[in-house]
Amino acid sequence: MAGGTGLLARARPRLAQRLALRRPLRGPQRRHRGAAAAQAAVTAALLLFTLLALPELLSLYYIDAMTQVAVYSVVALGLGVLVGRVGLVSLGQVAVLAIGAWVAARLLFATAQPYPLILLEAGLITMAAGTVIGLPALRLRGLYLALITLMLAGAITVVLATTNFPNGGHGFLGYNGGSVHIPAIRRPGIAGSDPAYFRYAVVVAALMFLLAGAHLRTRPGRAWAAIRRSEPAALAAGINTTFYKLWALALASFITGVAGGVLAGAVQYLYSIDFPTYYSITLLAVVLMGGAYSLWGAVVAGLLYQLLPALLHNWGVSADWLTIVFGVGVLQVLTTAPAGLAEQVPRDLRRLARLARRLGRGKEAGEVTAR
Amino acid sequence: MPGWQDFQPFIVSGLALGGVYALSGVGMVVLYQATGVVYLAFGAVGAMGALIAWSLTDAGAPGWAGWLACVAFGAVVTLAYGMVFGPALAKRDPLVKATATLGLTLVLFGLMDLLWTTSGGQARSITLPTDGSGFGIGQVQVDWTQVISLAVGIAIAVATGLFLRLTKLGTAMRAMANDREITATLGVPVRRVEAAAWLGCGVLAGVAGILLADLVALDATTLTFLVISSLAAALIARLRSITLTFLAAIVVGLVHDLLTPVQSLTNYRDMTPFVLAAVALLVLSRHRAIARSREEA
Repeated sequence: MAGGTGLLARARPRLAQRLALRRPLRGPQRRHRGAAAAQAAVTAALLLFTLLALPELLSLYYIDAMTQVAVYSVVALGLGVLVGRVGLVSLGQVAVLAIGAWVAARLLFATAQPYPLILLEAGLITMAAGTVIGLPALRLRGLYLALITLMLAGAITVVLATTNFPNGGHGFLGYNGGSVHIPAIRRPGIAGSDPAYFRYAVVVAALMFLLAGAHLRTRPGRAWAAIRRSEPAALAAGINTTFYKLWALALASFITGVAGGVLAGAVQYLYSIDFPTYYSITLLAVVLMGGAYSLWGAVVAGLLYQLLPALLHNWGVSADWLTIVFGVGVLQVLTTAPAGLAEQVPRDLRRLARLARRLGRGKEAGEVTAR
Repeated sequence: MPGWQDFQPFIVSGLALGGVYALSGVGMVVLYQATGVVYLAFGAVGAMGALIAWSLTDAGAPGWAGWLACVAFGAVVTLAYGMVFGPALAKRDPLVKATATLGLTLVLFGLMDLLWTTSGGQARSITLPTDGSGFGIGQVQVDWTQVISLAVGIAIAVATGLFLRLTKLGTAMRAMANDREITATLGVPVRRVEAAAWLGCGVLAGVAGILLADLVALDATTLTFLVISSLAAALIARLRSITLTFLAAIVVGLVHDLLTPVQSLTNYRDMTPFVLAAVALLVLSRHRAIARSREEA
């Protein structure tokens, strides 16, 4: 019996290696190197285009919308990490975003610190808040965790509706009541205008994507993958599941908090009615539609969430149609395409191409036989 | 601190609110037991039914036609959803099933905003004939709608409890809560039992929609997300016990309304269901793992 235990004890690190410590066999480094390089080149080109050309091409209306896209892509990224990588569904991410925006606004009014520092602080404070709130909730799993985040988000919304967002007042809350003159939330010195702030937001968003990407390619990412497959198996392989789940929650809260800081500077006036509880539900909808398993899915989600309403508004179509589409999208994704649009569209295109090739070949073959 | 006098009227309104929460909570627990679906569209279905009732009454139809339409709408939509997406998602994780009902919520929510635009600032309200008349207990005025709300809540809870215990269909539902596959093997018409559960839940959604529209407000957003409050009661009972759901719903309704006259807390009273549910979930989970091990999502 004792020998058996010893064997098990010796076997443990090997299992751990297999599940979490060693790199996965079919990871990015085994992929064709040319394809990886091409992908990196495309990403870099897109980023450069977004930074340099896009603000010149778009009207101010769409620049503002694209700034929102940058912000919400990061929020979607945080939720995507939780849902797609770790398997934790949160129905309260917009409440976390509101916390980040609140903290950033308060700091921006209270201090003259440089903007990047404020963003970092907003991220860290939101991370602390998210982790403290999430720590007890992590004892729950699956459905119950999702529902408790919905409850917590509802509670946060009620608190925010009472305390309001800081608007240059004094005291801890910094709320000036119904003051006549409400000062705008300041922006960084180098990004005062809307196009400049858009570039700023894109750079911050890119940094957040890099941060998340770095996590996914290293040890935490592999631990999360193991947890998502099966928590008991991950536990048996020696992965500290609570620690890594908490880490995921901290990462998601951090980047959402930073996004909140960017949002504060983007809109410059914050109101609690801008963060209703059901936005968290729509956010989950777009994240599922965009695809929770890939980083591109977060960008798609951001575009769906912020650019589409702006487009529809410009075309004079009610944004309510979009809510309906999102609802149908959730049902469609959950029943047929769990990996979302970011995976489904390329796959369907490939299928279409294959079908076209086969049809073309079929026709040739048919002609040959006819001759 | 307000005196006892100030609290009295809120005991009555709290009990009425609790009665409707109980009715909704029981509907959700029964559906969850039979199908494993947490029906998050409950509030949206009720809200749209209430808006339809309002439109009908506004167009000159008699009141009872509106109420019937509301209940029928709830039943039809819920049953249709259950028939289409129930089997498709039957083998998935409870989380996926619940998230799918969020899809239905969004669809209904968008439709409501589209058809009954709120931007005009047009205030709508549903008045039941029982609103005007009532009686007094001491100095507190009680109207019949409040009495009906509590009575319906109690009646539904008792009737559902008896139904699950005594009837064949109820027994089949309890069996399915234990194990769907084995129940099917034993020859229970699983689909038909599930359909009955969906139908019952939809009827309750319609009734709750009418009552809440009268007691709280006829507003799409408010009604849609009141479901979270009744869900709190169901969650406190861990989506299992009818009795606990009823009691929890009454407590949630009472605490919510009793906080109204308290100056320092009145703005935070809407947090009541969330806080109670969160505390209950966290404390309960300490003793027993409440989530079954996740199957492949």
